[in-house]
Amino acid sequence: MKIVTKAFLRYLFRRRSLSVLQLLGIACGVAAVIGMGLSARSALSSFNKAIEFLRGSSTHLIERPAGPIDEKMLAQLMQDPSVDFFAPVIDRRVRLTDGEAIHVLGIDPFLDRDIRPEISRAYFAEMGRSEREDHFSFFTDERSVLIDSNLAAQLKLGPGSRLETSQGVFTVINTFKNPSGEPLILMDIRNAQKMFDLKGSIDRVDLIVNDEAAFRSRWEKGFRIESKRQRQETLTALLYAFKLNLQALSLLALFVGTFLIYNTAMFAVVSRRRDAGVLRSLGARRIEIVAAFMTEIFFFGILGGALGAVFGYILSRFLTEIVGSAISTLYFFLKPSPQPWSLLTLAAGIAFGCIASLLGSVAPLIELILTEPVKAIRGRVAYRGGKRKAGKIALIGLGILCAAAIFLLFSFYHVYIGYAGTFVFLLGVSLFTGFTIMFVAPALKWVFSRIGGIQGKLAVANVRKNMGRTAVAIAAFMVALSMSIGLGSMIESFRHSLIWWMNSQLKGELYVSTKGDADVPEDFYEEVKRVPGIGGVDTYRNVQVTFRGAPVYITAINASILQRFTRFGWVSGGNENWEPVKQGSVIVSESFSRRFNIKKGDTVTVEGIEGAVQFPVTAIFYDYTTEHGLIMMDRSTYIRHFQDRTINSLGVFVDPRYPERDKVIAEVKKRAQDRNLPTATRSELHNTILSVFDNTFAVTRSMRVLAIIVAFFGIAGALMTLFVERRREFGIYRALGFSVRQIAGMTLFEGIGMGLVSFIMSIGVGTALALILIKVINLRSFNWTIFYHFTFDPYLLAGITAIAASIGASLYPIWKVYRTYPQIQIREE
Amino acid sequence: MVFFYMQPVIRVTDLWKYYGDDEQGEPALRGTSLEVAAGDIVALFGKSGSGKTTLLNLLAGLDRPTRGRIEIEGQDFETLGERGRTEFRRNRLGFVFQFFNLLPTLTAFENVSLSLELAGRPDPALARTTLASVGLEGKESRYPHELSGGEQQRVAIARALVKKPSIILADEPTGNLDTHTGTQILDLLVNQCRHAQTTLIMVSHAMITCRYARRILEMVDGVVTEDRSCEAPGP
Repeated sequence: MKIVTKAFLRYLFRRRSLSVLQLLGIACGVAAVIGMGLSARSALSSFNKAIEFLRGSSTHLIERPAGPIDEKMLAQLMQDPSVDFFAPVIDRRVRLTDGEAIHVLGIDPFLDRDIRPEISRAYFAEMGRSEREDHFSFFTDERSVLIDSNLAAQLKLGPGSRLETSQGVFTVINTFKNPSGEPLILMDIRNAQKMFDLKGSIDRVDLIVNDEAAFRSRWEKGFRIESKRQRQETLTALLYAFKLNLQALSLLALFVGTFLIYNTAMFAVVSRRRDAGVLRSLGARRIEIVAAFMTEIFFFGILGGALGAVFGYILSRFLTEIVGSAISTLYFFLKPSPQPWSLLTLAAGIAFGCIASLLGSVAPLIELILTEPVKAIRGRVAYRGGKRKAGKIALIGLGILCAAAIFLLFSFYHVYIGYAGTFVFLLGVSLFTGFTIMFVAPALKWVFSRIGGIQGKLAVANVRKNMGRTAVAIAAFMVALSMSIGLGSMIESFRHSLIWWMNSQLKGELYVSTKGDADVPEDFYEEVKRVPGIGGVDTYRNVQVTFRGAPVYITAINASILQRFTRFGWVSGGNENWEPVKQGSVIVSESFSRRFNIKKGDTVTVEGIEGAVQFPVTAIFYDYTTEHGLIMMDRSTYIRHFQDRTINSLGVFVDPRYPERDKVIAEVKKRAQDRNLPTATRSELHNTILSVFDNTFAVTRSMRVLAIIVAFFGIAGALMTLFVERRREFGIYRALGFSVRQIAGMTLFEGIGMGLVSFIMSIGVGTALALILIKVINLRSFNWTIFYHFTFDPYLLAGITAIAASIGASLYPIWKVYRTYPQIQIREE
Repeated sequence: MVFFYMQPVIRVTDLWKYYGDDEQGEPALRGTSLEVAAGDIVALFGKSGSGKTTLLNLLAGLDRPTRGRIEIEGQDFETLGERGRTEFRRNRLGFVFQFFNLLPTLTAFENVSLSLELAGRPDPALARTTLASVGLEGKESRYPHELSGGEQQRVAIARALVKKPSIILADEPTGNLDTHTGTQILDLLVNQCRHAQTTLIMVSHAMITCRYARRILEMVDGVVTEDRSCEAPGP
C-alpha cells in the first residue's frame, strides 16, 4: 500500500472513537434503507406467494359482482365444455381469542384436487391414516379443520387440539404445509356453509378453463370472471398506495442516510485538509491525494455498508411484522415472513454505503482539489467570507426551492413527481443552514453568554466559525427533525380529520357485527327494528367491485336513516343530497371522484347481476374508509341490481324522544349476544378505528425514530470532529485559564447550539413538509383531503429530541475532554 | 566567488502578490526580484509580515503570484503548469517548515520514505541512512508525537534531503526550537546541503542563521534587498 494511503487510513485507528461514530452513522443510514426495503419486499413477496398458493393452478375465478352465488350454478358449470376443472370455495375470516384474524377456506377436497393439489393432499393424507377411527371426520364433524403447520406451531396445536375462534371451537384433525406464510384454516365446504350461514351459497368458484372467450360469452352476464393475472392485478392495485407509502419511507431513509454519509465523507476530507497540503508541498499529485481519500471513503463505505446490511436485516424482521399488520388491518390478511439473510443483502448494503459515500465525498473533494496547497497547509483557519458564502449557498438553495415548487405543482401527473419535489425541497432548505446559523448566531450568543458565560459565547462562535463542519450536521439533523414534525403534524391532522369524519358519519349509538367476520342475519335486522325505542337501523353492506378495471367498493346503506341521524361531510351541499339516493342515485367518495375524475351529475357504470347498470352521481362526500373509492347507494337500489341481501353490520339509532336510551341499547346488545354477534358502542367503534389508524402509522413512526437515530450520529460525529480538530486549541484555552469543566461546558453548548439551530429551522421546514405531505403527497397517493390541524405535540417532541440528542451527542466528546485534558496540551500531534 | 558567475537556479522578476480576490489592499510582495545561484546558501531575514513566507511559498509553487515571473533552473514556473510544479516539488525541491508538518500517522521512517515513494524511487535503505545521518538512528519507528521538537525537525530535514533535491526551502527551520537545538539543526541542514551542493534558502528571524549563510538577503515591505551586514533583522 502506498504510504500516502497508509497515512490516511491510520487516522481511522488513531481516531477510533470518531471512526466508530462515522461507521455507525453510515451503518444506520444503510440500515434504514435496507430494513425498509427488505420489509417492503417481504410483504410483497409473501403477498404473491399467498395468492399463488390459494389460487393453486386455477386459471380463472367466477363470482357474483357482489355477494355469494347460488350453488345450483355448479351443475351448469359441470356441463360447460370450456371448464376442465372447478372447485367451489367459501372464503371467510375468523378471529382467534387474541383478536388475530385467520383466513378460513371451505373446500370440497375432491373437487379441489386439481386446483389446489397441495391442500387436498393434506386432506387425503389425513384420510389415509390407518390409525384414525373415523376416516371421514373432516366431513362428518362440523367443527373439524385442518390448520397450516406454521399456525399450529405458533399456537402449539396438534391433531386432536381444540382451537377457540369467534365462530366457536374447532377440532384440529391435522396440519398441512403452507408455503405462503399466511395462516390458513381448511374445512369442508358444507360445514363452512353451515357455520357462516350460507346454506346453498358459495363465495366463488375457482376454475381451470380451456377456452376463455367461449366461457366468458356464456357466463359474463350477472357474474364477474377474473383471470389469474387480473386477480393478481386487482390485489396489487389494492396495495398500490400502501406500496407507494413504503417506497416513500424507503426514499426518506435513503435521503437522511445519504445526508449522513455525506457528512461523514466531508469530515474525512476536512480533517485531512492540512495533511493534504503537506503532501502537496512534498510533491504528491492531486490524483494521489484523491486516491488516498477514496480509499478511506470506500473503507468506510464497505465496512459501514456491510454493518448496515446486518443492522438493516435485523431491523427488517421488526418492520416486516409492522408492515404485515398494517396491510392486514387495511387491505387483506397478510402475515409476511421476513426475507432470509442473503449475500445479496450484504452486497446491497455495501453498494449503497459506497455509492452514498462516493456521492457524499464529491463536493468536499472538489473543494479540496481546487484549494491551493498553501491554503490547505494552513489547516483549520477562521473563515472570513463565511457570511458571503452562506448567502451564496442560500441563493442556490432558493433556486432549488423554486425547482421544488415546480415539481410539486406538476405532481398531479404522478405522485413520484411529488416525492421528487419533496426531496428537492428538503435539499433546498438544507442549503439555508449556513445562512440560518449566521442569522441566529447573535441571538444565540446573547442567550448562551448569559446562561453559560464565556464558554457559552465561545461555543456559539465555534459553531459559526466552523460552518464547514457544523452546517452539514445541522442540516442532517434539521431534516430528521423536520421529518419528525412533518410526519407528526400530518398524522395528527389526519387523526383530527378522521375524528371529524367519524363524528359526522358514524353517529349510531350501537353497532352490531363490525369486525367483518360475521354477517348479520336479515331477520335479526328486522328484529332490532321492532325493539321499542329504536329510531332507525342502518344496514351496512360493503363489497369490492371493479370499476374501469380497478378495484373500488360499493356500500349499501339506508339512505333515509342516514339522512335523519347523520350529517355527512359533503364536498358541496347538505343532507338534501340523500333525496336522490333514495330514488336510486348514488353518492361517491372524494377518493372515487378524484381517482376517476367523476363529478356531481356524472354517471357511473357498474356490472350488476343483470349486466351493466348506470347510476347518476348526486353528490360527493369526504371519506377515509378506502383510498380506492367508494360508491354509496341505498340498500333497496343495491338489492335490485345485485340481488345480494347480505348485511355486514348494523348501525342502531335510538329515537331521540325515547326516554330510556340505555335500556334500548342494552336490549339490542343482549339480542345480539344471543346470536353470537359482536357489538360496539359508538365510542368503542371510534376507538377501534383510531387504533387501526395508529397501527397503520406504526411503520411511519418507526421511520421517524430511525431518522432521529441517524441524525444523532450526524451531530455526534460533527462534535467529535470538532473536538479532535481542536485539541490544540483546547490546550490554548487551558493555558488562558479555562478549567476542564469550562471546556466541557463549551463542548456541551456547541452541541446544544447545533441542536437548537436544527430545531429552529425544523419548525418552519417541518410545517412546510407537513403541508406538502397533506396537500400534495397524500392527496395524490390516497385521493383524499386531510384538513391541516395545528398541534403543538410534534414541535414539542422535536424540541425535546433536539436538545436530548444534542446533549447525548455531546456526552462522549465531554468525556474525552475530561480524560484528555487534565494537563495542558498545546503540542502538535 | 565562483557562484556569482554560475547560471542562477532561481530567478524571480518583478514578483507581486496580493491576497484576496482582487488587487486591493496592501500587497505581500511588491515587485521583488531575485537571483540565486546553484549551490548557494541564502538566509532571508525580515520582520513579520514582510513577505518572506509568501516568497518561499511562491518559490515552492505552493501558491501563485499575482504578477511577475519565477524561473527555476531556467524554466518559467507559470508555463510549467500545475502538473509541472508538482513534478518539480516531487523531484527537485525539499521543503522544511517551522512547525515540521510531519504526517502524524506515519512513523519517522515512513515520513522520510514518503518523499522517495512520491519521487518514484522507493528505497528503504536510503531512508534509514538519511535518518541516521540526521542523528535519528533507532528512532525510525517512532511517531511524530513520540519525538521531541528538535527530533521532529530532523525528520523533516531528512525528508527534504532524502530525495537529493537541487533546492531546499526552509521556512523558519529553527523558529520552533530552543537555541541549542536550533544551532544543531542549522549545522545539520547547512552541512548536508553543502555536502550535496544543494541550494538552500532559509527564511529566519534568528541571527545565528547569518553564520551559516553565504548570502544574506533582507525582505522589507515585500521587496528583497541584499544585506551583507546581517544586523538589521528584527523579530
